[in-house]
Order: sequence, then C-alpha cells, then structure tokens
Amino acid sequence: MHPATPPTHGTMAVPVHRTPVPRRRLLRRLLAAAVAVPLLLGGAVACGGDDEAGSDGKVELSIFWWGGEARAQLTEQALALYTEKNPNVTFKKTWQANQGYFDKLATLTAGGNPPDIFQIDDNFLTEYAARNTTLDLTEYKDNGKLDVSKFPESLWQYGVVDGKLAGLAAGENTQGLVYNKTLLTKNGLPEPTTGMSWEEHIAWAEQVAKKTKVPGTMDASAVDKAFWVWLRQQGKDLYKGNDLGFTVEDVTKWFELWKGARDRGATPTPDVIHEGNATDITKQLVVTGKAGTSWVWVNQMPELKKNTKDELGVVAYPGDPGAQWARAAMYWSVFRGSKHKDAAVDVLNFLSNDPEAVKLLGTDRGLPSNLELRDQVSQSVTDPAMKQSIEVETKLAETFGAAPQVPIKGHSKVRAELTKAAEEAQYGRLTPAQAAEQFYAACKSAIA
Amino acid sequence: MTATATTAATRPRAPRRAGRGQAVRLVILIAIVAVVLYPLFWMIGTSVKSQEEIVNNIGLLPETFTPGNYVDGWSNFDLSFGRFFLNSAMVSLLTVVGNAVSCLLAAYAFARLRFRLRGVWFAVMIGTLLLPGHVLIVPQYILFRSLGLVGGEWPYLPLLIPQFLATEAFFVFLMVQFMRGIPRELDEAAKIDGANAFGIFRHVILPLSRPALVTTAIFSFIWTWNDFFRQLVFLSDLEDYTVPVALTLFIDSTSQSAVGPMFAMSVLSLLPVFLFFLAFQRMLVEGINTSGLKG
Amino acid sequence: MALTTAPGPTRRDTGSVRPPAKRGAGRNRHGEGLAGYLFLSPWLLGLMAVTAIPMLLSLYLSFTNYDILTPLSEVEWVGLANYERMFTSDPSYWHAVQVTLKFALIAVPLKLAAALGVALLLNRAWRGVGLFRSLFYLPSLLGGSVALAIVWVSMFNRDGAFNSLLSLFGIEGKPWVNDPDWALQTLMVLAIWQFGAPMVIFLAGLKQVPTELYEAASVDGASKVSQFWNVTLPMLSPVIFFNLVLETINGFQGFTAAFVLSNGTGGPVDSTLMYTLNLYISGFTNLEMGYASAMAWVFLLAIAVITAIFFSTGRFWVHYSDGEDR
Repeated sequence: MHPATPPTHGTMAVPVHRTPVPRRRLLRRLLAAAVAVPLLLGGAVACGGDDEAGSDGKVELSIFWWGGEARAQLTEQALALYTEKNPNVTFKKTWQANQGYFDKLATLTAGGNPPDIFQIDDNFLTEYAARNTTLDLTEYKDNGKLDVSKFPESLWQYGVVDGKLAGLAAGENTQGLVYNKTLLTKNGLPEPTTGMSWEEHIAWAEQVAKKTKVPGTMDASAVDKAFWVWLRQQGKDLYKGNDLGFTVEDVTKWFELWKGARDRGATPTPDVIHEGNATDITKQLVVTGKAGTSWVWVNQMPELKKNTKDELGVVAYPGDPGAQWARAAMYWSVFRGSKHKDAAVDVLNFLSNDPEAVKLLGTDRGLPSNLELRDQVSQSVTDPAMKQSIEVETKLAETFGAAPQVPIKGHSKVRAELTKAAEEAQYGRLTPAQAAEQFYAACKSAIA
Repeated sequence: MTATATTAATRPRAPRRAGRGQAVRLVILIAIVAVVLYPLFWMIGTSVKSQEEIVNNIGLLPETFTPGNYVDGWSNFDLSFGRFFLNSAMVSLLTVVGNAVSCLLAAYAFARLRFRLRGVWFAVMIGTLLLPGHVLIVPQYILFRSLGLVGGEWPYLPLLIPQFLATEAFFVFLMVQFMRGIPRELDEAAKIDGANAFGIFRHVILPLSRPALVTTAIFSFIWTWNDFFRQLVFLSDLEDYTVPVALTLFIDSTSQSAVGPMFAMSVLSLLPVFLFFLAFQRMLVEGINTSGLKG
Repeated sequence: MALTTAPGPTRRDTGSVRPPAKRGAGRNRHGEGLAGYLFLSPWLLGLMAVTAIPMLLSLYLSFTNYDILTPLSEVEWVGLANYERMFTSDPSYWHAVQVTLKFALIAVPLKLAAALGVALLLNRAWRGVGLFRSLFYLPSLLGGSVALAIVWVSMFNRDGAFNSLLSLFGIEGKPWVNDPDWALQTLMVLAIWQFGAPMVIFLAGLKQVPTELYEAASVDGASKVSQFWNVTLPMLSPVIFFNLVLETINGFQGFTAAFVLSNGTGGPVDSTLMYTLNLYISGFTNLEMGYASAMAWVFLLAIAVITAIFFSTGRFWVHYSDGEDR
C-alpha cells in the first residue's frame, strides 16, 4: 500500500525554526512554501490511488528497462505472452539505452511514481534498497510465489541487501578476458588459458607485444571488476560489511603489478589505456586492435565480435578462477509503493521460470537464472560467439566461489575514484603508493 | 553610397558582383569553411561505413560503401524513425511559437514600460539564467507531477507549458537588448499620434523586432531539436520519443553498438535544422530602415 | 541581489513617488504600469508556476542530505554542512572550479572573437552569403550528440586527422583528447568551433543598425574604419553586451561537451571536470543532490557577482538607442 502523503507533512519538512531575524523569516517562508506546494498537491494526487485492481479486475503494470532494440523486442514478446496467459494484466513499457537510465529512474522515484517493475544493476541496487524503494521479495520467495529453487544459490543471494531480497537476478554473467585469437594464431603464439597466474599473464602479454607490436594486454588497474577478483584471490574483498574489504597496501600491490606490466611493454601507452578504460563495447582495445585483450563480462563477447573482423576467444581472469562468482548481470526489482505488488512479483516469476518466456528472452540479459531452463536455452543457441561464451561460463560455474556481498552505498564513487587513481599512476603523475593513498582516502569518504 | 568589399559593416543596397576584394574574401571563406566543416564531412563518411570499419578505420572515406546504415537506422525500431522526426518537429515548432510570443511580450515590458519593481523583476529574470539546470530537473519533475502534468494523455505538456510562459530568460534578455536598440523617438512619435502602450507595441516594436524574433525562432527550434535530458525525463513511450532520445537508443554502451545506423540518423537529423536555419537566416539579410516608420 | 542596477531607468522608477511625465503626450504613468504588468503577466505566471518553486526547492535542498530517492517529506536538515564540505574537505570541488575558470577565461573570448569576425565577413548581402552563414552555423547544429563525441575523439586522437595535418608541417602530435594536459584544450576548441549562436546574434544586431547612420557618416566624410568605430561598434554594443554576458554564463555552465567527450567522467584524471559536470556526478551518479544543490547555489552567487560587474561596467560602454544608457 502506498501511503498517501498527508498534507501536514509539508510544514514538517522544514525544521527551520530558529532565528527571528525578519529577512531570514521571509526566506524561510518562501522555502517552506516551495516545499509545501508539491507535497500538498502530491498528497492530493496520491490519495486517488487504489491498492486493488480496478473493479473489472484489470491491472496495468509499468515496467522500465535499459537496453538496445534487440532486448526491447524480446522483452515485449515475453510480456505479450504473459498478457496472453493473464488477460487481466497489461503493461506500460518504457525502455531506453543506459545513457540517462538511472537519472530518469531516480527522477521518477523522486516524483513518487517509479515504475512497478524496473531493471537495476549492482551499482545501484544497494542505493535503492537502502532507501526502501525496492520491495523486499523474501516473503514471496518463502511462500513460493517467487520460485528461486532452480537458481544457483549464490546467484539469487547476490540480490540480498541487509537481509532483504531487493532484486531478482534477471540473468547471470561473470568476468571474462576476451582476446584476439587471429592475432595470436597468425604469429604462432599460445592462447591465454584459465588458471594462468597474473605474473604469467603479464609475461605472456610481453611476449605478444614483442612478436606482434600489438601490446599483449590492456592495463586492468582501473578495471574495478578485475581489481575485485584479484582481491578475492588474496583472501580480501571489495567490501566487508559497511567498510572496505582491503587495505592501502593491497591497492599499492595492485597498482605496482600493473606498473610492472607497463614498464615491460606488456600494455599500451597511457592514452590508449585511457580509451580502453571506458566501458563502451566499441572502445574496447581488443576490437579497436590496440591491445590483445580486454577485461569484460563473458556475455559481452558476441557483441564485441560485431566490431572486429578478427576471431575472438574468452577465458577467465588470471589467477584462481574460484574467485569469480555467479554475478547477477542485472536484476528486476519491484517498487515498494506499487499498487499491484502481487501481480508484479508474478511477472518476475514468469520471466525467470516460464519455459516459453525464458526461451524467448534467451541470453540477452545474461545466462538464464533458472538452471534447468538454462540448459535448454544453451542448446538452442546457434551464434558461434554466443555459444562459446555460454560454454566458458558453464565451465566456470563449476568452480564459482560464494558470491560477495552486493556493493554498498557509494560504489559508483568508488569505481570512479579507482579509474582516477589508476590513471594518475598510468600517466606517471603519481607513484603506485601515492595513487593507492589517494584512492583509499577517497573511498573512505565515499562510503562514509 | 560607396561601400567597398572591405567594409563588412556596411550594407549596400544591391549586392556587388566581381571585384578582386570579393574574390579574395571568397577564397578565404572557403578555406575556413573547409577546415571548420571537416569533422562534418568525416561524420558523413562514417555514416556509410560498416560497423567494423567505424571502430577500426579512422579515415575520412569508407573502404566499403555501406549505405545500408540509412535503411537500417530508419527502420531499426518498431516505428519508423520518421515518427521521431515528426515528434521533434512538433515539439520544436510549438516551442518556437511559445517562446516568440511570450518572450516578446515580457521583453517589451522590461525594455519600454515603466512599472513598480521593474528592476527587481529584471534582476530575478537574469537570476533564473544562472542556476545550473541539473539541480532543477528533479524539483521540476516533482512539481509538474504534483500538478498532474506528467504522464497525461499528451506527454509533451510539461515540455511545452514552460515555453509559453517565457521561462527561457535567454530570449527575454535577448529581445530586451534588441528593443533597447530601437530609437525612443519612434515611440514618442507614435504617442503624439495617440498610440498607447499597446499601439506602440503593435506598430513600432513588433515590426522592428524582426531580427530578434528570427534569432529567437532559430535558437528555439535548434535547441529544442537537440535537447536531450528534459525530453528523456518526461517522455516514456517509444512512440512519443523525440530524435535526440531515439538517437541514444542505438547504443547501449554495454550491450549494443549500432554505431553505423546511429551515425546515419544523426546525419539525417541535421537536415531539418539545417533547412530551418537556411530558410530563417534569409530574414536576417535585409536590414531595417527605421526612417520609413517615422511620422 | 546585486543586479538591481540594471537596466538603465529602473533606479528612477522603483521609488513609490513617480516623477511627473516629462515626455510624450501625457500618457499617464498609472496606465503604463498596468500595461507593464499585463505584458509581463505570462512571464510572471511562468516564474511563479514553473521557475521559482523548483529554484526555491533546490535552495532548501541545499541545506539537506537529499538523495533524490528519499521522499521530500523525509529529508533531513543538515544546516550548512554541504557548504562546509565544499569549502573545506572536497578537493575535487576546487579542482573543478579551476578547470572551469581556465576553460571560461580562454574559450569565451576566443569564441566571441570568432563569432564577431565571421559575422562581419558575412554581413554584407552578396550571392551565396546565406549558404556560407548556414555552413558556419552547421557545427552548432550538432549540439552535444553521441555522434559528435565520436567525431571529436577521432579528430584529436593520436592517429587522428589533426595530427595528420600537423605531420604535413613536420610536427609530431599528441594524443590530445587522451592526454590530461591537453584534453581541456580540445574541449575549448570544440566550444570555439560551435560559435554559431553568438554569430547569428551578431548578424541580427548588425542588421538592426539603421542604414541612414552610415549614410550620414559618409556624407560627413567619415572613413570606413571610423564608421566601424563610430557607428557599427556603438550601435552593436547592446548585442555585444548580451553575447558577452550570456557566453560567459554559458562558458561557466559548460556541461554538454565535457559530458559527451569524457563519457560523463570528466577524465582523463579529472582534466575536463567542469563545475556543472562535477555537480551532475554528485547529484545523479553519487545521489548527493543536496550537496549538488549547494554547489549550484554557490555557482549562482559567483556568476551573479560577475554578471553584476558586467552590468555596472556596461553603463560606460553600452550604447542604447532608447537614450537611457546614462
């Protein structure tokens, strides 16, 4: 039930009752009025709401996701299937690309009308869950209305924030090191393998650089998902409770590892690394031909392939692959104030567990969460790049470690600060130790 | 009148042909234009490259000519891209009308009429220009939503209502500056003829404000055509999307990269604004001869 | 606010005692006041209904810990904490201030100079002038699209067109956009490249100069150069003033170019972290809208001071034909 805002809240929102200076009082009144107007009006609007479906039993659910045209088509088909099976439920669909998606989602939330169902990722899940924007799905999981019994345990658990199930994994992915196969075979060089140590990886990259004049690997010091895996291999983690799971020394070691790689010529020059630090598919160095590898997600391989003539391959990140985990590529969440929570949860259940729907959606949001259906979907895939990424991920799944906790509030800032500090070191403006200091201090204030 | 080609400031009655000065200037202009427009040529070249080439071939011309980007881009979505052009054209044209009318009225008051608190209001008007827009989006959304303007039958209402209420202080200030360049004697002459404030507006200010109005029209149209953030926030249905919003749909940086079609549609989306500009800048060609209006 | 000194006649008119009408055919002041508010009414309505409430709301939020997601009725008042943080414990804030100052001080004058220069070249009516104007305006049509970002990066990359041009003269280039020492400069070039808007305003202003002033000057035997200094520049001064004020405000608010060129990060290593980009990242990415609002209001005050300075110096060099410039 969405509590209608009582109009009295408008005045309570301005606790500015201190100084009796007249001019301040004027400002205070103006501010109070500015806050009160939308609240008063908003209260009136919200009062018109109804918890139940209309008298004819019809329900319209709003749903919002980011993605491309392909995802839009698949999702619309799956939703149409739901409506076919449940004629009382229709959808108001909104989709856009990821540029501006979270800006819009936040703005809609501020306006009191976020969609009933929305797509979200692990950068923002905690932010929304901590502000009680997302519905706790635990109850539905327990009473079986939301079936996660076929999910890998660690996958659905990667949606738990502060003991509440804040999001349902819409698909699974994991870290993948994509490399340029053509470049290697043409020069008679070995392909990287899962389980290589970081040192071996860098030595291999140096060898590639010497032979081909193309730097063997992309400098991963600014790549948060690589740093995270590396930390887990050192017995550390990105976060621990509400604090950081690593020390300054860890960061220094990480930055020094990559300084070594740069000094040995295993990586490109800083300006090229900077290009590769952008997360866009079209800027990944493995497709622009400026490095032999790129640090991405396994399921991005097929899309990368479209941007290059060369053959690509994918393996796990270096080090113990057990440090990787079944990551929710993205989640579906339900707005806590939705008027049709039960219906919304039923749609989530349908999108993950209905054989037809899962087949329609395919691997667009990552490998299907439901393991039984994942098998069926995998077998029907024909695109070779897609097939390969599924194979690699299925193989890695055998060694997956426990999922880490979902990133905490401030994670977006932490990611940005990692890029900044790593680039300071890459451009040689700071030593690895100085950059680590800077990063650590910035993280501390970001999560405070 | 003895204007020569070297005095840019003067405006001769008839265009002069030939002349060495003219030719030299033409050469200089063409050279500047070539440099200035190189990035645009590059953009057009890229719009006919294949996906793989866009990422890897940084040259001006494609190795393999791929006009298919235009076809793909036009029909990439459930709706044809033309739909987005129509939506954008409608929003932009209505914005032009709204800004031209409402800002002209406000500017006349500021520039010519005397009333209490005029200085204060003028300062407030300039003040509204100064606050970075990003902190206003959320409050504005909350306000419009509580006024019931968001998500109505016609989703463009929250985009257009402000434009009919002279909220673009840029244009108000622009018109004020232009009107203050109109000699006061014209007003006085009209007053002697018995015109009141409305008469002066109608017969003196309005006809003489054409350069300002044309400028306002050009900018209103182009800026609205390119505006992304507000349109993104207030529009939620694919069929209501405008060109800037639709252009971003081609590239979802982590999962999809239809760069070729995006470039093709970006080039196409320049056409309407370019034509709009070409048509309206003509109205800037003729100067204003104020003497005809006197008496 | 300090802006109440503008425009010219206001100081005389805000007093409650009206001076008797000196000019005109005895139109009464009361009637003009009423007409003034009538003409102003759409703007006033817009101010009240559309502009003022969000502005005041953002001012209020600047004293809170607003994070966008929390309902307005539950935000916490934090007093001056946001302002304190900005001035005492946020190094990236001061970094952004420096970047913005550098950008505005260099890009704004150059952009205005380019706009005025080209406008003067294109002012005369000759065959094809319209086409040239449109061509010069073309770059500005691109706004801040994704395509533009790709184009610009490709021009000023290590292997980009600009370096090819330099190599013709035997100069070895740099990876301009990807070099923290040069990225801001490429941003400036982009801003200057899009000089179309002030150019059009200059053109429109030039058209408003009454032709008989030139005729009169010619009759008096004034040379072309002196016509430019004594007729064109004074008559154009309100428009120059407008462009100066607005481009300065725009320069300081510069967001779009920095946003698209750096993928919204302000990189490499914060070299293009403009004030408003920093503000956007704080508000939307880090969900610290209260803090972002505080930044916005500090920005408003700073720009208001600069604008007020422009307005007060404007009295010495801006010539208004309505006879109220002194």
